[in-house]
Amino acid sequence: MLVKEMMRRPVTVVSVEATIGEAYQLLLDRGFRHLPVVDHGRLVGVLTDRDLRLATSSFSEKPHVATDPVSAVMSSPPLTADPLDPVEDAARIMREHKIGCLPVVDGQELVGILTGMDLLDALMTLTGVTKPSSRLEVALADRPGELARLTAFLAERHVNIHSILTYPSPEAVRTVLRVDSNQIRPLADELRRAEFDVLWPLPKPWQH
Amino acid sequence: MAALIHRPEYAGYDFGPEHPFTPARLAMVLDLIQSLGHTLSPIAAPAATREEILTVHDEAYVAMVEALDRGEARPEAERFGLGTPDNPVFPGMDLAARWLVGGALHGARLLMAGTETRVLQLGGGLHHAQKDRAAGFCMYNDLAVAIQACVAHGWRVAYLDIDLHHGDGVQNLFYGDDRVLTVSLHETGHYLYPGTGHIQELGTGPARGLSVNVPLEPFTESESYLEAFDAVVPRALEWFAPQVLVVQAGADAHFTDPMGDLALTTQAFQGLYRRILDLAATHTQGRVLLTLGGGYEPQVVARVWTILYLTLMDLPIPERLPQAWLERWRDRLGPEPGSTLHDPVPAYPELPGREERNRRNRDIVARLQDSLFRYWL
Repeated sequence: MLVKEMMRRPVTVVSVEATIGEAYQLLLDRGFRHLPVVDHGRLVGVLTDRDLRLATSSFSEKPHVATDPVSAVMSSPPLTADPLDPVEDAARIMREHKIGCLPVVDGQELVGILTGMDLLDALMTLTGVTKPSSRLEVALADRPGELARLTAFLAERHVNIHSILTYPSPEAVRTVLRVDSNQIRPLADELRRAEFDVLWPLPKPWQH
Repeated sequence: MAALIHRPEYAGYDFGPEHPFTPARLAMVLDLIQSLGHTLSPIAAPAATREEILTVHDEAYVAMVEALDRGEARPEAERFGLGTPDNPVFPGMDLAARWLVGGALHGARLLMAGTETRVLQLGGGLHHAQKDRAAGFCMYNDLAVAIQACVAHGWRVAYLDIDLHHGDGVQNLFYGDDRVLTVSLHETGHYLYPGTGHIQELGTGPARGLSVNVPLEPFTESESYLEAFDAVVPRALEWFAPQVLVVQAGADAHFTDPMGDLALTTQAFQGLYRRILDLAATHTQGRVLLTLGGGYEPQVVARVWTILYLTLMDLPIPERLPQAWLERWRDRLGPEPGSTLHDPVPAYPELPGREERNRRNRDIVARLQDSLFRYWL
């Protein structure tokens, strides 16, 4: 999944010459929290609602006023992403720098914006929860071919997989699948008979 | 007394011998009721027309069902949820599904005409069917078509779903409709199909607060289930003041069900049916339309839905299962069918972790109430 699939476009921007009062009104009217700042079309910074609130707070030593220029309070230079970056890389940058958005730049051109909300959309799409599905969790041995054995098992039964996530745990590779089937318990029973370690669904206490 | 809707054609909604949603379950219920000495004289309702299906479904989806029904090869079928292990294609499926929709719709019309107040459709309950796709054994949404007809009649409709699974199809179809309240109790979507039905799904626009979900912990038992029901459902109906109650009475929340992890007993189901009749008496002048739904352990659903029938008919619940019935269905009953209509008490060994589960269910109900009461006040 690439940044260009999850970013928003077109991007609403504010000119570096605008006042923070104008930027505030724009954020308020459009329901945004992040505004890329441009100078003759070139990205020069990012202004967030937090930047504005802190800069104008009465607790601030020298609070800014509405007529001050955007350039006085924006973050610059901004961190950016490329449309072809994988979303997980964008997520890592945002997490490491504790920032809420990345303007997406292709060459010199601002082509989109990726926010924390877009990453949540990406998470939902990646985990398959946006379609009716059942959750199956299997602990696989950490060796080649185990995931293939599991997916082949599902393919033989014509069960469509909406998503697969795997993550390491000390004992095994935990694998979470969302599958397009209501018949998850019978499937889990079959998997156990084929000696898969199924973590969910669990056998019923009265089941032998 | 209740009017019963059923016809032999309902058995045609059949995905094949390997599929859990087998019409044999219906045959076992009908036979059990009759073996207990009751004469059934069900109303044979007409099939729903294409136009009636289109009151809730997209034309492109219905056209896809019809094309597959005719045997046409359509590679894009799976995009409509058809030709999957859950919803295999079979010849005659369009009409088979329209019979079920027609039954629910006819039931709704009997209520609207004032001819009946209690109607039970022995079949249907296809609550997963979506506007544009089949899902979870459900092709056309009989409940939604019936609800839509009641709305067109000018009624406010309360929908109650006690199936093991979240009633996502009905919820989605009326998610923004302020004339329909949907309430679903189910095993939490964190673990079970279809993965939705969380407390945060509250409806949208003018219908905010009209979508109510009670997701329950795996292995929730009767007492905790009924406690959650009593904490949410009566208050919702009191606030919404509906003219009719439509109920999807799936039986798969029973502890033996092979599909899920709730742990109700037949006694809990009887308690639910009594509550539903009481709620209808209090809020909808007795008007209630019930369909069946999920339920995949044949000997259990036969007993549970027989209890439903007897309760709706104000008939006593006998203790023992008829010997003739047990013998006729021996092949389907499994090794230990028991000999009583109700489950034995206790029905199963004590489940570890009950206190923790009950506490989590109470927390969920409290959080749900916190979000709903702002709309309900």
